[in-house]
This record gives sequence, structure tokens and C-alpha cells, in this order.
Amino acid sequence: MRRLLTVLILAWAGVAWLSAPANAHNVLIDSDPKKDSSVASAPRSVTLVFDQPARQGFAQVTVTGPGGTRWEQGPVKVSGAKVTSPIKPLGPAGKYVIGYRVLSSDGHPISGTVRFTLTAPGPGASPPPASPSASSPGSAAGSPSPSTAPVAVQEAPPAQDLSAEAAEAAQNGGAGVAVAGMAVAILLLGVGTVVALRRGRPAPSGDQDAKGASA
Amino acid sequence: MTATQATGRLGSRSSHVVVAGLLLGASIAVIVGTAFTTEEPVPGIPAPGPFVNYGVPIVRVLLDVAASLVVGLSLLPKLLGFDRPDRTEPVMRRAREAAVTAAWGWALAAFTAIVLQTAELYPDRFPTPGLVMQYVGDVGAGQGLLLSGACALAYAGLGLLAVRFGEKVPAELRIIVAFFGLLPIPVTGHAVNSVWHDPIMIGMEFHVMGSAAWVGGLLAVILFVARDRELLARALPKFSKVATVCLAVVGVSGLISGLSTIALTPGTELPGSLFTTGYGILVLAKVACVALLIPLAAHIRFRLLPAVVARRGTAVMAWAATEITVMGVAYGVAVVLTRASVAG
Repeated sequence: MRRLLTVLILAWAGVAWLSAPANAHNVLIDSDPKKDSSVASAPRSVTLVFDQPARQGFAQVTVTGPGGTRWEQGPVKVSGAKVTSPIKPLGPAGKYVIGYRVLSSDGHPISGTVRFTLTAPGPGASPPPASPSASSPGSAAGSPSPSTAPVAVQEAPPAQDLSAEAAEAAQNGGAGVAVAGMAVAILLLGVGTVVALRRGRPAPSGDQDAKGASA
Repeated sequence: MTATQATGRLGSRSSHVVVAGLLLGASIAVIVGTAFTTEEPVPGIPAPGPFVNYGVPIVRVLLDVAASLVVGLSLLPKLLGFDRPDRTEPVMRRAREAAVTAAWGWALAAFTAIVLQTAELYPDRFPTPGLVMQYVGDVGAGQGLLLSGACALAYAGLGLLAVRFGEKVPAELRIIVAFFGLLPIPVTGHAVNSVWHDPIMIGMEFHVMGSAAWVGGLLAVILFVARDRELLARALPKFSKVATVCLAVVGVSGLISGLSTIALTPGTELPGSLFTTGYGILVLAKVACVALLIPLAAHIRFRLLPAVVARRGTAVMAWAATEITVMGVAYGVAVVLTRASVAG
């Protein structure tokens, strides 16, 4: 018993070590423009830096200006711990909010905001119509620069990630078979449970208590 | 006849009180904690609705409770011993059936959690089967839950064999499958990215196994053994030893992983962040829960146990019910803690 448990723990520690390269929610450690900073010239992109890599294909970034105007101009680029989104030439001076939602390396989505102030009006001072949605992977699909496009949920991943794509496909296929197998197993188990508990019911002794416990 | 019926009804009512206390403590902790740590909405980015935002932690805590109950019920044959089958068999028969039911609950909670976490990741899309499978394929947390649910189903199968064939199905096998099912979740959960990753991860595994044995064991003893003084006098001293070890393991591993996560995360530091961040306050809440459990457990161990061993009537049920409610709160806080941002 004790020996079996030890073996189990050691085996699992090995699995954990192999399969879990990084497990924590990402934490924003830096950004450009910096948090609560004032910038005089409008930046052409915003960058968010996390303490560990963000997952490809799930990052969303918005830039909201005075009066709810929107300035992000996808696609969002994730390279390791850095998430970059190009933005339109900023307009009026005032307060801007960078909003983000990324998938942590541990699989937990995190979101947050970074505020900065533009002190002088930028080149795009006549405000463009507010864009309807975030520069999410979805809206990035129609972007003119697919070579820099991030791996997005709906679109095909770029060529350099072919091996990753293959691995992902294999994983998905594996998951499909696993799900099908599990569905069959669940069905069999369910039938088994019903039959066994039905048959177990009229037990000669302890019936009273069984009824009391299940009531 | 009437006497047995009366005690049966009484016992079943106090069982309900114990389970209700556990679930109530856990749900209140989850709801308060989630309300407290929910991230602010970000302009222009869809956020998960309240159903998903509260549904995920509630399902996760149900998963933890069901899994702990399975572990505890698996440990029960070890606590009762095998030398008096005429006495233990009626209790064990009910415990085996309950274990199968709890394993089903565990599996159901795991699969529901996968669907809800898919909805959490894609707040603007409906979690269709295809999307859920994509989530499981892409995200380690989904794979961990799937593996845990699969272990729960394997346990249900094994438990059915035990319902049919009794203790011929080795108790050790059931214990191992139950513990094994607990392990995938912390692996894909929460630790820190550094050289301390592996020690923290192994610490978390011990933390999860220790708490499951402690909470589940106490639940099993209270729900199935407490109303039989003779059996309680045999099981409680053994459980008391297990619980003492578990208390030490849970306390030490929890403190180490909580404090080191704060210490190793950029932007947070000890001891200040304990009081200024949501994560730190949640760690303190768990410390408070354990601090509250120690006197309760000690009262049972040192004041009530001698009377229990002497086969005298005691208020052990009420004390244990209180202890289990506090444990429920700790479980709720634990789930919120795994979801909270360390810096937030």
C-alpha cells in the first residue's frame, strides 16, 4: 500500500514534470506605453509584456480613446511573453485605455487594462468611426498582412508553426477518439450502475439503514 | 424495529445536516470569493457572463467534494478493518454504493467544468461539442479535467465490481484510482514559473491528496460509522492518526506553495502582498480555516476520543459537522484561489 502510493506519486511527478512547463496565471509586468504614463507623440502600436509566455491565438487587445472611440488595428501578435497590437494613428489628446485578454500558459484567461494619457493630439485627430469589435483573432482574419498574423482560432496557422499544427491536430484527433471511447464507457457504466444498484437493493440485512441513508 | 427506524431517521437527518453544512460553507466561500476577485470588465472585449463566472468555481468545488468523498469512502474499509465482517459488512455495503454514486458526481462535475471553462475562454460563442473538443485539445486544464473525469469513471466501474463482489476487490486498488484521479488537476492548475516549479507542484499534489483524505475520511466516518458506537470506537482512533498526518501535510504544503507563489510572482512581495492583494487575502483565509480546524480536531482527538473508545455516547457528530463546515469553506476558498490572479 505505502509502496504503491510512493510509486504512484513518483510516476505522477514525472508526468507533471514533462507535461507542465509553466503553470501560473500570467502577470502583466510591463507595457508600452507604460501604465498611467503620459506620452506626447502617438505610438503606432501597443505592447504588453507578461512574466511568462501567453498562448498563441487567444490574445485580444483593444485601445479605447476619449468618448469610447476605438483605435486598435489588428492583428494581435504574440511572441513569447510579448503581446503587440498595431493601432491606428491616435487622435485627440486625452485618456486612452488599453484592454487585454490573454490565455495564461496555465490555461486560465486573464484580462486587465492599462491606462495612459496622450498629451498632444495625434495625426488622426479627426476621429475615425469606432470599430465594432476587438481586434480579436476573428476580426484579424481579414487583415492585409497575413505573414505577421498570429495563430488564430479560426484561421490557418502560419507556415512556421506547421509542426505545432500537426501536433495540435494529432492531439485533437486523440481527444476525439478518447471522447468517443469515453462515451461508450459511460454508457456501459451507467447501465451497470442501474442494474447493480437495483439488484443490490433487496439485501437481507442492513436494508433498514440503506433506506435511511438513501432517503 | 421502531427503535432502529427512529435511530435510522435521526442518523439520516444528521447526515443531511453534515452534507448541507459542507456544501453551504463551500458555496458561500465560492460566491463571496468570486465576487471579490472577479476581474473588471475590459472595454471592447467580451467577458464571461455571471452564469459562467460563478458556475465554474461552483462546479469545481462540487468536483472537489465528490472526489474527496470517493477517497474517504475508499479509505473506510481500511479504517474499519476486516476482522468483523458481520458487523462491518452492512456499513461497507452502503459505503460502496455511495462511493459509486459519488464517483458519478465527480465525473459529471469534471465534464461540466470542461464545458463551462470552454464557455469562459470563448465568452462570445456557445460551447458546442466541437468547441469543447478544441478546448480540450488546446488547453492543458481541459486535459487535466478530462483525465480526472476518466479516473472517476474508472472508479465507478471498479466500485460497481466492489458492490457486486464486496471486499474481494482490493481496497488499495480503489484508494489508488481515487487518488490518481485527484492528481491531474493541480498539474494544470496553479504554481509558478521558476526552478521552484517542480517542488511547488509536488507540494500541491500532496496538498490535494492530504485534504481529500482528511475531509473525505471524516465525511465517511461521520456519515456511515458514527451512529454505530462499536464501529466508531474502532474506526475513529485510526482515522485520528490519519487526520493528524493530513493536517501536517496540508498545512505545510499549503503554506509553502501559497507563500512561495506570492514571493516568486513579479510585482508581489512578502509580507505586504498578503494584505494588499486578493490572492494574499485568500491565502490568509485558508490559514484562518486551518487555524480554526486545529482546535476542533484537537477537541475530538483529546476530549471525545477516549469516550468514543469506551463506547460511550458523545457529541462527536456535532463537533465533526462543525469541522466539516469549516472544511467546506476552505474548499471554496481553495477553488477561488486557483482562479485568482496572484497580482490582483
